[in-house]
Amino acid sequence: MNRRIALRHLALISGGLALIPSCDFSSEDILAAYEKLKITASQKSLLGDISNTIIPAGEIKGALDLEVPDFILVMINDCFTTENQILFTQGLAAFPAYVKNSAGSSFDKLETKKKEEVIQAGTKLESGETEEGMTNKAIAYFLNTAKRFTIQGYMASEYIQSEVIPYSLIPGEYNGAVLISDLQKPLI
Amino acid sequence: MANLNLKSKEERTYEAIVVGSGISGSWAAKELCDLGVKTLMIERGRNVEHIKDYPTTNMLPYEFPHRNQITQEVRDANPIVSKCYAFNEDAAHFFVKDAEHPYVQEKPFDWIRGYQVGGKSLLWARQVQRWSQYDFDGPARDGFAVEWPISYDELAPWYSHVEKFAGVSGNKDGLANLPDGEFLPGYELNVVEKYFQGKLKEHYGNDRHMISSRCAHINGNAEYYAKQGRVMCQNRNLCQRGCPFGGYFSSNSSTIPWALKSGNLTLRPDAVVHSVIYDEQKGKATGVRIIDAHTKEMEEFYAPVLFINAAALNTNLILLNSTSNRFPNGLGNDNGLMGKYVAFHNYRARVSGEYEGHAEYTTSGGRPTSGYFPRFRNVEKQETDFLRGYAAGFSAGRGAKSDNSGIGADLKESLLNPDQYGPWRVGSHMMGETIPKESNYVALDANLRDPYGMPQLKINVDYDDNDVKMTKDYIEQMTEMFEKAGFTNIRAEDDNRTPGLDIHEMGGIRMGKDPKTSLLNANHQLHAVPNVYVTDGAAMTSTSTQNPSLTYMAFAARAAHHAVKESKK
Repeated sequence: MNRRIALRHLALISGGLALIPSCDFSSEDILAAYEKLKITASQKSLLGDISNTIIPAGEIKGALDLEVPDFILVMINDCFTTENQILFTQGLAAFPAYVKNSAGSSFDKLETKKKEEVIQAGTKLESGETEEGMTNKAIAYFLNTAKRFTIQGYMASEYIQSEVIPYSLIPGEYNGAVLISDLQKPLI
Repeated sequence: MANLNLKSKEERTYEAIVVGSGISGSWAAKELCDLGVKTLMIERGRNVEHIKDYPTTNMLPYEFPHRNQITQEVRDANPIVSKCYAFNEDAAHFFVKDAEHPYVQEKPFDWIRGYQVGGKSLLWARQVQRWSQYDFDGPARDGFAVEWPISYDELAPWYSHVEKFAGVSGNKDGLANLPDGEFLPGYELNVVEKYFQGKLKEHYGNDRHMISSRCAHINGNAEYYAKQGRVMCQNRNLCQRGCPFGGYFSSNSSTIPWALKSGNLTLRPDAVVHSVIYDEQKGKATGVRIIDAHTKEMEEFYAPVLFINAAALNTNLILLNSTSNRFPNGLGNDNGLMGKYVAFHNYRARVSGEYEGHAEYTTSGGRPTSGYFPRFRNVEKQETDFLRGYAAGFSAGRGAKSDNSGIGADLKESLLNPDQYGPWRVGSHMMGETIPKESNYVALDANLRDPYGMPQLKINVDYDDNDVKMTKDYIEQMTEMFEKAGFTNIRAEDDNRTPGLDIHEMGGIRMGKDPKTSLLNANHQLHAVPNVYVTDGAAMTSTSTQNPSLTYMAFAARAAHHAVKESKK
């Protein structure tokens, strides 16, 4: 990543914050209980493995480092309808058997490449009226939801928004005609 | 309910009482205080002090446990307010929850309210367009409601007065149907919005305009606003949280602290006004009865001049509930029209599309406004099969997005290096004038009470054929304009939303020349009780298409000066 740019953003944001009369930045990731989901520890661990496959660690931290599985479960526990919570947990429960059938092994034993293939294929499973179709629907729903919230939880995390791509409360003056070719594109 | 008048009558007597601390109430109070009038401002909700009581204002996205999404539990408990676009984790504390103030929906109506000092001025969309004489002429020319008793020329100096103080940014567009005002530098339209402007000129000549919408944000003259403790708008677009810079106008950042500084204002939050007290001997209103929001005890306050600015429907509620032998059906309601001829703005339809041109450009930074179409239908004369017309919002936008289709290291790299621009997205929404009718009304329910013991308001407001025809025309016309500009993938939607969600409810205590057909005179006094003024949305005789708050500010300032002049006679 281009740390120079990141640092410049950070300097900008700190400069901006000095202007703000009252601020409270003492914040922690809030971990609500998932009492509506009835998730077991091993299921949560599986979800962690899935989210870390979706966004793995490298030079920059990955989903598991940022406790993204917690975020996913908080969102589903607090912001979903009961109907969608059931579909999600059904999909999560059916996922191990699906992996066994399609990849011949449990998820945690698979190579990274294979894990990625299993998830990508699972997001595209077609639903149907049969029992298998219903299960496929739940698995696809579970994986797409997990992916969506992995992306959101990762990108809207304190780490990403303060250390990697600093979020600015003060975005600066509007420029309505910026040439894309003039934009610096720091590769992160 | 105990009548707790422990303090002497003298201690509870002021030179003026203003009910409501939102945009119109705070303007009335500010003007009265500037003129040396000892004023009591009563607010039903809690106090919200500028900056101190904006708990979310500097929170970063990841500090919201649900990344600004409302939880299912809150949504289930609040089916009405949850429909409001601004009811999110960052501003939910400024909205009234459904159970706090129940009402009867004889027809579906989403009543969105903000009960706190400052009212909805913390939450409003800050768009401030003047009315023109074409708008005031509407009812008389087209034969609906009653003739407005005031003209644009009478209101124009008051528009100037409030624009200067509130801070309005805009361009001098020179349009007869949307008069220019006292503007700070306007905000720029972007390259595609300007392109669209040019296309409109090419195809419609001088008949249709799309301008940078005038907004109540400080974009210049910083020294002047420093006197109010406000600084330039920082383009944060987090306005609904309350602005620590005072970059946009709210009662909390501007008029209330100004009035407090004069030493003439007493602020009484947590006091639900029950009714106006009418003295039959004197033939005047003498004060108000309030219910303490916490103790539920009743108390009275007195003043020779009363401003009822509780927001349109609550002003109706208070005056309908102000009964006496002389006025058994509500204060000043001799003609039985109080609560009737309620109207709103029709926000049902939107048109969106894409534009493949100007592909080399994007935008950066933020701005607090976007484009605005002043009404172009039936301006000079009747020309369609529906009455009046609509204004419309317009904006174009483009930003880098990531390709989220992959997984693993590829996905991560794409997320951290968004470079997918895609076409420009363009969008518009309508703001239609609705025609006030006797059948669109609010009234008191005979049996149901709210948690304060007040009668519940029954709301009976609906669309009519005119609204349906107008919606269809908006979709046709905007689609045609989009096509002429070369926009593609054009989609139109009529969401048939429930009235009320526009948060522009108006009328019920309309102004007019004749006491037989209106409630208020040209100076906003009740015809039958001239020491009672109404300068909020309840006073509206018709709605036209402009976002109404600026007009309420001008009404309030003008009426306050009238009241002071009268008191000196």
